[in-house]
Amino acid sequence: MIKRAIAAVVLTVALTGCTPTTTSMPKAVPQPSSSTTKAAPADTSCNARASRKPAGALPQPGRMPAGSYMAEIQKKGRLVLGTSQDTLLFSARNPFTGKVEGFDVDMGRQIAEAIFGDPGKLQIKVIAYDKRVSSVQDGPDKGGVDIVADTMTANCDRWKQVDFSTIYYEAGQRVLVSKDSTATRIEDLGGKKVCAAEGSTSYTNIGAVKPKPIAVSRPSFGDCLVAFQQNEVDAVSTDDTILAGMAAQDPYAKVVGNKFTEEPYGMAISSQHPEFTQFVNAVLERNKADGTWTKTYEKWLGSFGKAPQPPVAQWR
Amino acid sequence: MRLAALVVLGVLTGLLAGLAAAETKSGTGDLGERAQPLLVQAEAIYEGLADADTTAAQAFLAGGLEPAALTDRYNEKIAKATTALTEAARLAPADSEASKAIHEIANGVARYTALVATARADNRQGLPVGSSYLSAASTLNRETLLPQAQSLFTIAQQQVQDGYRNAKSWWWVTFFALSLLALAGALLLTQRYLSRSTHRTFNVPLVAATVVTVLLALGSLGLLRSQQFHLADAEDAGSTPIAQLAEARILALQERGDEALTLALHGSSDEPEKRWVAADPQLSAALGNEFLPDGTGAAYAAYRQAHQQIRKLDAQDGNYDGAVALAVGTATTGKFEQVTDDIGTALEQRKVKFTEEIEAAGTGLTALLILGPLAALVICGLAYAGIRTRLEEYR
Repeated sequence: MIKRAIAAVVLTVALTGCTPTTTSMPKAVPQPSSSTTKAAPADTSCNARASRKPAGALPQPGRMPAGSYMAEIQKKGRLVLGTSQDTLLFSARNPFTGKVEGFDVDMGRQIAEAIFGDPGKLQIKVIAYDKRVSSVQDGPDKGGVDIVADTMTANCDRWKQVDFSTIYYEAGQRVLVSKDSTATRIEDLGGKKVCAAEGSTSYTNIGAVKPKPIAVSRPSFGDCLVAFQQNEVDAVSTDDTILAGMAAQDPYAKVVGNKFTEEPYGMAISSQHPEFTQFVNAVLERNKADGTWTKTYEKWLGSFGKAPQPPVAQWR
Repeated sequence: MRLAALVVLGVLTGLLAGLAAAETKSGTGDLGERAQPLLVQAEAIYEGLADADTTAAQAFLAGGLEPAALTDRYNEKIAKATTALTEAARLAPADSEASKAIHEIANGVARYTALVATARADNRQGLPVGSSYLSAASTLNRETLLPQAQSLFTIAQQQVQDGYRNAKSWWWVTFFALSLLALAGALLLTQRYLSRSTHRTFNVPLVAATVVTVLLALGSLGLLRSQQFHLADAEDAGSTPIAQLAEARILALQERGDEALTLALHGSSDEPEKRWVAADPQLSAALGNEFLPDGTGAAYAAYRQAHQQIRKLDAQDGNYDGAVALAVGTATTGKFEQVTDDIGTALEQRKVKFTEEIEAAGTGLTALLILGPLAALVICGLAYAGIRTRLEEYR
């Protein structure tokens, strides 16, 4: 929902080599901006980047404070993470191993490690984009999840329903078109079909572009790429990060235009458990400080260039 | 006058014998050569598509390179479905409901196989979008192709039902029976009249005509009764169990497909599992079919247990890898395949039985078609001869 007037011209650089499984494919590059560049958000009722400040030191793994939600998770024996399986680099099913992996999944694994001392005590639950808020609200006992890390933008609208951790990644929306397209930015696609996942901020943002493209929704971004390759839509528009994963899979696609929104990613947590949000923030703070965040960035997004400074936490 | 009446009745009887035989024969022939084969092909299309989808989902779950056995099975099932489509197109009259359904399925299958081929190519290159292609293919299969195949199957079933009705051809048989009675009555009345008005008790040609009439009646009765028995057998031990077994096999394949889908979706939807739970009692009941071996129910019970263990591992214990390993493992696959193999064997046996019964139902009718009118001619000739002699005496 954060709509931003683009002031600066952002360079688009072509890179080669993106994922460990593909090589020599030209692709567009997301430009992680630092969190210090302030946006003019549409819903200004809150600071969506600000989260709950941790109280006290991080407990030792396996010794969660009695009565806390972390102790409940520890008792259950696993952390239930909600994510997708078709967002290459962030959370995608590796076709070779059948396992879901990526930057977002690693964020979840780090929380599991902080609770259990074992990053493997993570149950991955693939959820649709429009189920991210409700899955967190329901909780694992009612078929939901403990936490969502799924390229999810923290915004004020969602803050009314769930809590977010501090920002762990800064993305922005761009547009993916076919290689022979003359469009250089989303505004060139008025009247054309542009796909985004149902329930994503990207979908809402497409509707706000003038001249107006025809927004087409699919259950997930993987389905958007299928629709794009089958010529059912002219373009896909979402966060640069997700688009980079798509361009890596399709040499006939290119990402064009500047970031026209700011999409700060946070992990969604039920507002019933503020102590869990504080705990997750404490883990993020520690990992940003000790280089774990940078290592994770390099592992998944290293082909975009040198890791930027991790987003600076803001407190409410 | 009497001679004219007898000859007319004789000719009528002969005509009706021929018509009744021709109608029942063509009805039986249509049943055996068109309606039932269409049902068999519709079942093959339905089964081929459902199995291909289940196999594709299994291969996806296994991860990595598709296991060769599953690739082969998928190819075999698609080949089965497309061959059956060609056969079915030949059997369905142009512009009929069935032929429209066949065209729609044929178009859909082309799109389906293209999507699966793209999914495979992507998978081979390690592109996660392959799984999105597979899910698009599966949605097409389940939401469009299978319902179309099911409606073709229903149409074919209806045609078999109509076939049984036509093969029985009650109207012609009834007319034939009435004309036989009338002919026999007329013969007897004529003989009574002649024995009273002349002083001869018996008129040999007319007695012979009566005997031939009775023989024709008995012979036709026997042949038509036998046709009815064989038709009833073809229905009770053939087409009815074929339809039941086919539905059972589809249910089983859908259960297995839903199981794989639940795992492939990684918990993003509980719809497939709900379908599994709904299908379970139906399938259990269907496996009680008298034509299935006793072991099938037990094999299914073992598979059900494995399925529940898979759900427990995945949903309660959060052991996804364990659940997948159990689902694609040889033990679970073996139990499941015993169920589908048993159904397949029983289906083949029922098809053979049906063909036998339909052939048996058809054979006697050819005899009736030729001998019926012939006998009627003989009756006419004898009646003519019998009355002619008397007429000449009065001249």
